[in-house]
Order: sequence, then structure tokens, then C-alpha cells
Amino acid sequence: MSNSNLFLKSGFIRAPLQNGVGRFVPQLQRIVLKFCKSNGSSRGLRDFIEQDLVDFAKQNPSVVVYLKPRRHRGPVIVAEYLNGDRVWMGMHNKTHSEITKWIEVLRTQQGDIASLRLRKYQYTDYPSVQGPWTPFTFKDPELNTAKLPDPKYGANNRLPMTATEKLRLMFEKQKLNDVNTAE
Amino acid sequence: MGLHKPIYHPMNDCGDVVVCINSREIALRGEEWRRRAYFHHTGYPGGASWTLAWELHNKDPTMIIKKAVYKAMQGNLQRRHTMERLFIYPGEKVPDDVLQNVSNQIRQLRPVPTRLDHIPEEEVQNFPKVMDYPEDYVLK
Repeated sequence: MSNSNLFLKSGFIRAPLQNGVGRFVPQLQRIVLKFCKSNGSSRGLRDFIEQDLVDFAKQNPSVVVYLKPRRHRGPVIVAEYLNGDRVWMGMHNKTHSEITKWIEVLRTQQGDIASLRLRKYQYTDYPSVQGPWTPFTFKDPELNTAKLPDPKYGANNRLPMTATEKLRLMFEKQKLNDVNTAE
Repeated sequence: MGLHKPIYHPMNDCGDVVVCINSREIALRGEEWRRRAYFHHTGYPGGASWTLAWELHNKDPTMIIKKAVYKAMQGNLQRRHTMERLFIYPGEKVPDDVLQNVSNQIRQLRPVPTRLDHIPEEEVQNFPKVMDYPEDYVLK
């Protein structure tokens, strides 16, 4: 987490609203396209306005579209949402097709979802059914009554059997066999 | 700290405290006791000093472990606070208030070597052998 994230609103990831299950409520309320009529950095936005803006406005009657020409300023799109969010997006030197895609993003998203620092990358309403993990789950119950430190719990139990130990066991087995055959 | 726990989160404090006992009995490999030097500088001119491992161990039997752990950690601001969670005792004696909170034991990485004269006489006698030394054989 870098310093620039400290003032970012923080929250948890969430599922989208059940918008459209009954009736669909368009979330984007207003979109303002700010651009310059002469500067080259507004070229893409001007192309979009000339070619696609009327269609966009016709297809989305619920969205209020404003155009704000302003001299010698950078191109910007500001979108306002039903939940009060306001998304400011610079369109400096963006091409026509890029702007088409960004406007599609602004139109379809539910408020300002990008400017949220996720505290965790997962979220659930039901944290645990079987009870949350504690340091004592899956532990040997013998440890509850054990008096630590104890060599029994401290000894290494992951090493393979040594050759010496194997030989000794073979010898023990041989001795038993000798006793059995003698009888 | 506590990275291995399912409840880990950078903003919750779930690291374990570790109690280390018998630090007086540590082993160093090869010539390390004589060759390894610990550097310290007081900050004043001529304030540098090099202490050999055996000298340091005689002065404070917990110091070698402490420095080894400290050196192995990342050199960030958290290091000194993380070190506060390590208790090192030179012998078996651990204060009761520390011991009563111990809930588990970390298993050894390798078996502790035993000496022949520490193994019971009977067990040595019963250990299988290929042959006996002859009567007149002189052990060096």
C-alpha cells in the first residue's frame, strides 16, 4: 500500500446489485464531455462527438448529455451516477475508439467502483459455518495436557530411518528367527 | 508474521512469540568458535572491536542466537519490534509467566548428537557387532 492510497476510500469487494432482475434502473445519470475545438489533444473526443454522440444520446434516453466546449483546455469526461458518485476521466490524446470504449465503461458501471482501495481481495457475508480457524484447531489434543518443553514433542520426526537403525532392526529380527528355529 | 495462518491479514497482529531454551548448548561448525568474529563500533574514533564467537558466548550465551536471528531478518523498521517476540534463555530455566503461555513446541531440524559415554551401559553391550577385538589388541 503506497502513500497515494491512504486517502483513497477503502472498502470491501461486493457483488453487483440485482439490477435488471425486475426492472433495470440505469445507473448513469449525467455525462459531461468537455473539450477544446482547436487543440489536437481533443481530436478523438471531437471525432466521437461528430460521429457517435447523437446515437449514444438516442440509445440512452435516461442519460443527460452535456457538451462543454472550452478554449485551450484538455478533453475530460465527467460522469455522474445515481448513488451520487462523480467520475472524472481525462481523455488527453485518446483516439475515437478508445473513447467509445471508455464511455461504454462509464455507462455500464454502478457508480465509482474504480476508486476504492480493497481491504481484502475476498469478502463473504458468512465468514465460517464450522467456526473460524484458531491456533488450536487441527492440533493434537495431547498438547492440552502436555508439560512443555518435552523431548517427545520436540524430537525430529521427519527424517528417514538411518542405515544403522535399519541394520539393528534386521539383527533383532534375525535373533528372533534363530530363537524360533531352535525351538 | 503469522503469514502461515488462515486468519493472516497485514493489519492484524497474529505473529507468535517464540521461546528459545538451552542457547548455551549451541554448536558451531568447524573452526567457527575460533574464527567467527562479531564486529562492534562504539562510534568514537578507535571504537571498533572484534569479539570472537567463543568470547561472545562466554560473555552472553544468548547473544549468538540473537544475532543470527536478527541477521536473518529483513533490515526494515519492523525488525527490532519483531525481535521483541523472541525470548532466549541460556539454560532450561524459563520464567513461569512465559512458560504458562507456551502451547506448542517446534520440532528439531536434526537429531541431537549423543556421546557414547552418555548411552546406558546395557544398551551399548547389546548393540550388535561384527567381531570382538582380540585380547592382545591395543586400542590407541
